[in-house]
Formats: sequence, C-alpha cells, structure tokens
Amino acid sequence: MKDVLSIKGLSKSFGTQKVIDNLDLSVPEGTIFGFIGQNGAGKTTTMKMTLGLLEADGGEITVCGEAVRYGQTKNNHHIGYLPDVPEFYNYMKPLEYLALCGEIAGLSKSNTKDRSDELLSLVGLNGVKKRIGGFSRGMKQRLGIAQALLSRPKLLICDEPTSALDPVGRKEILDILQKIKGTTTVIFSTHILSDVERICDRVAVLHNGNIAISGTLSEIKTMHGKERLLLEFSQKSEVSQFKACEKIKPLLSQTEESGTEIILQGKDIVHIQRVVISVLAETGLCPSKMEIMESSLENLFLEVVM
Amino acid sequence: MRGFIAFSKKEITENIRNYRLLIMLAIFLIFGLMSPLLAKFTPQLMEALMPNLAEAFENPTALDSWTQFYKNVSSLGLSLTIILFSSCLSGEYAKGTLTIMLTKGLSRPAVVLSKFSAAAVILTVSYWLAFGVTYGYTAYLWPGASLPHVFLAAFALWTAGLLYLSILMLGCVLFRQAFTSILFLLVVTVIMGLVEQIEQTAGYSPVILVSKNIDLLSGTVTASYFTIPFIVSIFTSAALLIMSIVVFNKKQL
Ligand SMILES: Nc1ncnc2c1ncn2[C@@H]1O[C@H](COP(=O)(O)OP(=O)(O)OP(=O)(O)O)[C@@H](O)[C@H]1O
Ligand SMILES: [Mg+2]
Repeated sequence: MKDVLSIKGLSKSFGTQKVIDNLDLSVPEGTIFGFIGQNGAGKTTTMKMTLGLLEADGGEITVCGEAVRYGQTKNNHHIGYLPDVPEFYNYMKPLEYLALCGEIAGLSKSNTKDRSDELLSLVGLNGVKKRIGGFSRGMKQRLGIAQALLSRPKLLICDEPTSALDPVGRKEILDILQKIKGTTTVIFSTHILSDVERICDRVAVLHNGNIAISGTLSEIKTMHGKERLLLEFSQKSEVSQFKACEKIKPLLSQTEESGTEIILQGKDIVHIQRVVISVLAETGLCPSKMEIMESSLENLFLEVVM
Repeated sequence: MRGFIAFSKKEITENIRNYRLLIMLAIFLIFGLMSPLLAKFTPQLMEALMPNLAEAFENPTALDSWTQFYKNVSSLGLSLTIILFSSCLSGEYAKGTLTIMLTKGLSRPAVVLSKFSAAAVILTVSYWLAFGVTYGYTAYLWPGASLPHVFLAAFALWTAGLLYLSILMLGCVLFRQAFTSILFLLVVTVIMGLVEQIEQTAGYSPVILVSKNIDLLSGTVTASYFTIPFIVSIFTSAALLIMSIVVFNKKQL
C-alpha cells in the first residue's frame, strides 16, 4: 500500500520547549487514522506542519509523494483540512463561503455549486440562510467539514472534528468519515477514544514528541495490551482464602481489589486462567462470576501516558 | 492568478459589507463638495464673525478652492484612509480566517496583493470622485478661471496615496496589531520628511507629492520639480510591496 502521508525525523520547538522530537509517521492510503495524545502533546502542531502552515525545525514531510514546504501552498490541493477551531468570514453565508473556497481551489462554478449543496445537506446545514457570524460552534464545525471535503481531497486532516458536536452530530460526522473512506484517507485527532475504536483502522499515540505506539487497533491491543481476569466471590472471606493459596501468590503482583471482586492481570492470560481454575478446583471455592476483560484503548492510552 | 482574482473579489465584498467602501466614498464626496464651498463662502463667514479680519479673505479664487481640496484630502482624507485600512490584515490574524484559505491553495503573495489592490481601487475611486466634484464645482463657481497642471497636481497626490497604502501594507504584514502598523507608517512618513530637510537629498522625497500641489497650480514650482519624487514614489511603492510579500511568505500565521 502506498503512503499518502509520510513524516520522517520531524522536530519542532517553541522557544526552549521541544514539542515534536524526531517524529516518524506514515499513513497508508485508504485508512482512517486516529491520532491521539494528551492536551498539548503536539497533534495540532504536527498537522499544521503537514499543511505548510508552520515551519518545522527539521525533518521531512511528504504528501502524495510531494515534499511539503513551509509557506507554500501548492501541495494543499491534495489535502482537506479542518482546523481545531475553524474560523470563517462572518459576513458571508455558507454557500458564499464554499463558492469562495471552490474558486480558490480551481473548481468550476457549477461543480462548486453542486458539490456545496451536496455537502451542506451531508453535514446538515442545507437550507441555513443566515450569515456565518450567527453560527453556533457546532454549526461552524459542520461547515468546516463541508469546506474540507469540497474539492474531494485525497487526504483529509481533521483536528478534533467531533469536539464541539452533540451526540447525534458526532455520530453523523463519524458516519461521514466512514463513508468517504473509499476515496479519501482520513487522519483525525481526538480525545474521544470510543470514536477511534468505532471507525479507525490505525492509530498512533503521540507522547513526549514522539509516537509511543502505533499500528492497527488489533495489533496494538495484542502487542501492548494486558488482559485482565475478573473473579467475583459472594463473600469477602472467600477472596482472602483465594489469595492465600500458594499457586495464586505469584500472580498477585498487579491485582486490583474491591469488595468481593478481584482482577488479575498479566501478559499470558491463558496461563492465569489455568492456574486459577486448578486452584478453584483444589480449594472448592466457587466464584459467582468469572470474566476475561478485554483491554480497551483507554487503558492502553493511560498506560502509555502515565 | 486564480487565487488572486477570487480573493480580491472577497476583499471587495468584505469592504462593501463592513461599510469601508461606503465610508470612503462618503468622506471623499464630502471633501469634494466642501472644498469649493468653503473657499467661496469663507469671506462671507469671516465678515459675519470677525469683521476686522475679513480684509484678508476677500476675493476668493479657484486657487483657494484647490487649496482647500489639497489641505483636506492630504491630511484628513489620507489619515482616515489609513485608519480604515490598517485593520485589513490584523482581523484575519486575530481570528485565524486565513488558515482555511491557504489550505485551499491560495498563495501568500496573492493575499498581500489582493489586500493592497482592493484598498488601492477603493482609494482611487473615492479620490477621483472627490477630484471630479471639486473640479466641476470650481469651474461652476469661478467660470473662466484657468490654472496650470490641475490634473498633474491631483495625479501627484494620488500617487502618494498609493505609496502610503504600500507602506501601511508592509506595516500590516510586519505587525499583528493595526495600531502598530499605523505607528510604522508614521515613522516612515517622518523619515520621508527628514529626507526632504537634508540638503543633499532635498527635492527627492515623495513628501513633495503631498505638499507642493498648490505651488504647482500657482506656478511657484514647475512640473519638472515633481519628476524625481514621482519616480522615487513609484519605485518605493513597488519595493515595499515586494518586501511585504517576502515578509508575509515567512510569517507564522
Ligand atoms: N505558537 C505557539 N507558540 C508557543 N507554543 C506553542 C505554540 N503552538 C503550540 N505551542 C505549544 O506546543 C505544544 C503542543 O501544542 P498543540 O496545540 O500541538 O497540542 P495538541 O496536541 O493539539 O493539544 P490539544 O489536544 O489540546 O489540542 C503545547 O505545549 C503548546 O503550548
Ligand atoms: Mg490541538
């Protein structure tokens, strides 16, 4: 698979603060790529450098095979960009704004008109006749998505596209992203990990200026995830009895306990299960519940970031 | 080129919707009407208010009408123009509205040139409107009066107006705040004034284009006196615009 975006050795400092430190990242064609990281991790900074809006201190960025150069905008016809807080000309109406975007991007008038109508109804702004100055933040976000998709870009970069949206709006936007997957590669940054799990094929976690983990969702979970086994007894005394067993003791290094529940963690869940079952058989203890808890992206994220 | 045309159209729309165009036209129309009227009726006014001083104001001529015109336009008119257009980029910086435009493939030089062109077109239209009105009114109030170089004098001030706009443009590109851009323009204007004071460079400064218009009409100076300042002004404007583009290309938005 060809890479739509590839970043090599990217660095960026603001004053003495090193925000991006020798970052490598590649995004294969046709994926929905989730870009996650804490507040201030440098997601927006990385995206802006990809668009040539911000000057990198070092490193290379290539979009669709062409090198990105700061201050130059000719690469940008491959890219649709939704800024974290999209700002428009308040005195314009949505259709006028899209017409301006279309004209700058070199689309024909009729093409722009058709595409605008289509996109405005896609994002739920069809029939909105008021000026953008009177838009709510969520409406601006929707218009932002419409303008980003206007010229059918090969790469769509969205900076927290769902942050200002209501639950229905969020679902709609995620559905849109999923719908365009065939023709457009999508990179989006977010804090909402359930969104990532819902639509992303690949994820990268940005931490300390670098990619801490990246890969497909299942790869990441199997490689980095710890699985957890939950046991629930009916009485507290049974928990202590269970913990007192010789065979269980080596597994207790990372347990979480609350009330009558105990959660065992470890890399090799099958081994843990075998031990537990044999202990239960030997002691005659009978848990009221026994369950394997799948590692979630959230746990993973916390683990990387903490 | 495509981006330049599209963005210039946007600039014109913007100037219409935020009333800049209307204000400019109104101000310059008022100056155009007021200058001949003031010249004509000042003596009557003075007579009514201060009869003992009225001697000095007797028999106003067409030259008095143009004196009023150049006084009003070169001071108040240009100042208001500068104040109005000083926010043409600061608003975009503050809100971040250029980001999406640039990601659509709009080139940075097109942004600078569009902003300048829109301001220049609006100044040009307003200015020549004022000139036309004063010209017609003066001819009506003082029939038969003929002055030399009426158009050349007006052309000189117009060239200077464009020079001021290009200085302002560089200020707007260099600084984020409208106020700082105006300060920058003031500093450059003072420097141009100083250049005229220094013996070796006297006669070169574009300041002549805004200060000697009346002398041209009254015959105190000849047209050739304007040649060098005119050429200096054109080249300085071009250089300032090129500098604005270069600076803007490197500017972090
Ligand atoms: N123009 C700037 N000048 C100085 N520091 C900056 C600038 N822009 C960003 N930073 C710093 O760079 C770091 C990364 O910022 P960035 O906006 O990329 O984070 P982010 O990952 O997008 O965060 P969030 O999740 O809050 O959007 C932050 O510490 C921020 O303070
Ligand atoms: Mg951000």
